[in-house]
Amino acid sequence: MSNDGRSPRPAFAPWDRRELPGLFSVEESARRVGAYSWVEQRLFEALGGWIATVPELDVKLVLGRHCYHHAWHAEQFQARLPELREMNPARCTVPANDGVAALLEAVIEPEATEHTIEKLTGVFRVLLPRKIAAYTYHLNATSSITDAPTQRSLRFILQDEFEDWREGEMLLQSLITTPEAAARAAARAAELEALAVAAGGIAGPGTLGASPTPEVTP
Amino acid sequence: MKRFLPVDELARDERFVRTSIVAGFNDPRNGRATERAISSARLEPGRAAAPDRARALMHGIFVGEIQALEGAGRTTFDFDDADAPFALKLDMARQCWDEARHVEISVKLGEHMGTEIGEYTESTFLYEAACVPDPAMRLSGVNRALEGLAIDVFNTMKEFGDASGDPVLHFCEDWMLADEVTHVKMGSDWLRRLTEQDPDRRARALEFQRTVDKLFSLGGFRGETEENPVQIARRFRELAGFDTDEIDEIAALAAEALADARSREAVAG
Repeated sequence: MSNDGRSPRPAFAPWDRRELPGLFSVEESARRVGAYSWVEQRLFEALGGWIATVPELDVKLVLGRHCYHHAWHAEQFQARLPELREMNPARCTVPANDGVAALLEAVIEPEATEHTIEKLTGVFRVLLPRKIAAYTYHLNATSSITDAPTQRSLRFILQDEFEDWREGEMLLQSLITTPEAAARAAARAAELEALAVAAGGIAGPGTLGASPTPEVTP
Repeated sequence: MKRFLPVDELARDERFVRTSIVAGFNDPRNGRATERAISSARLEPGRAAAPDRARALMHGIFVGEIQALEGAGRTTFDFDDADAPFALKLDMARQCWDEARHVEISVKLGEHMGTEIGEYTESTFLYEAACVPDPAMRLSGVNRALEGLAIDVFNTMKEFGDASGDPVLHFCEDWMLADEVTHVKMGSDWLRRLTEQDPDRRARALEFQRTVDKLFSLGGFRGETEENPVQIARRFRELAGFDTDEIDEIAALAAEALADARSREAVAG
C-alpha cells in the first residue's frame, strides 16, 4: 500500500467499528441527560449538607471530595443540554418522574449523627449502582458517532462513579462491624431499592431498555 | 435533612473539645498583649515559645478547615436555586473538595509538628459565620473575611517554615495559600453578582465582613506590627482581588482590636 498521502483510504479504519445510528433520538438523549443532571444536583447538595452531620472524620472528608465530583457531573450534563437543542437547560433538569423524586427524597432524608450507615448505604449501595447502570446503558445504546460528546462525558463520569462507589463501599464495610449494623444497612438498601424499582430507574421506565418515547432503530 | 443546621448540632468524634469564642475572648491570658510591647510577638523560630505556638496555630487551622468544609457544604444544600444559583453551588462544591484537602494536609502537618487531634480546643465561630441565613453574608463573612484571614495565616506559617528550615511546612502552606486566593476571589465575584441590584444587601454583607475581620483580629492576633503573631499578607491579598483601601481598612481594624485588648487588660488591672 502506498503511503504518499494521495491514495484513497476509507474514512473508518478497519478497527473502527462505530455504527450509525444509535437507539436514542436527540430528544431522548436530552431527556435522559436532563434527568441525570437533576439526580447529580440533588446528590451533590445532599453530600454537602451531610458533611456537618457525620462525626467520622474520614467520612466527612470523603463526602467533601465526592460532593464536588457529582457537582462536576451535573455541570457536564448541563453543558451538553444546549447542544442537544435544549436551550433552557433548567426546563430539562427535572426528575424523570415522581418516583425518582421520591427516591432522592428518601436517600437524602437521614440527618442524625448516628445515621452514617443509612446515609452511605443510600448513596453507595443503591444510588451509585443505579447511576452506573443507567450511564453504562446510555453509553452502549446511543450512537457512538452522532452522540459522541455525551459518550465522552459519560466515560469521564463513570470513571468517577466507579472509584467513588469503591471508596464508599469500603467505608461502609469498615463501619458495618456487627450483625445489627449489617441488618440496618440491608433494611435501608431494601427500602430504597423498592423506591428505585417503582421509579423504573433514575431515568424512569426504560432506564435500561426500551424508552417510553420513540426511538431511532437501525 | 433540614436546612440550616445549628452550630450545636455539628458532628464530631470524642477527640474534639469545643469552647466558645466568648470564653476565648475573655481568657485573661489574652492580656499578654500588653507584654508584647517589650519584644516581637511575630512567629519566629528564635522565640522559645514558637514551636508550641506554631503547633497551636496548626491545630487552629485544622479545626478551621473542618468548619470551612462544613460551611461550604451547607451552602450547597441550604438554599434553593433562586437564592443560590447552580453555578454558585458548583463553586461551593469545589470549595468543599479544597477544604477537605486542607483538613488532610493539616492533619499530616500537625503530626509532622508534634501535635494531635484534640490537643487544643475548637471554637466554632467560623461555622457560625458560614451558616448565616443570607448567602451574600456567607460569602462576605467566610470567603472574604475568613478565607482572607487564612491567606494571612498561611503566609505567616509559610514564612515560619522557611525561617525554621522546614521545607515540608513551607511547601504545604504555599499550596493551601494558592487555594485560599482562589476562594477569596470566588467570594468577591459572587458577592458582586448576588448584590448587583441590591446595594443595601451589599452594604449589610460588607458590614458583616468588617465584624468578622475585627473579631478575628482579636487581642492583636493579626496585624502589621511586631506585636502581631500573624502578619497581613498584602501581596497575596492583592492577588485575591482586595484593593489597597480594603487592606488598609483590615489593618486599621486589627490595630483597633489590639487597642481594645489593651484597654480590657488595663481595666482588669
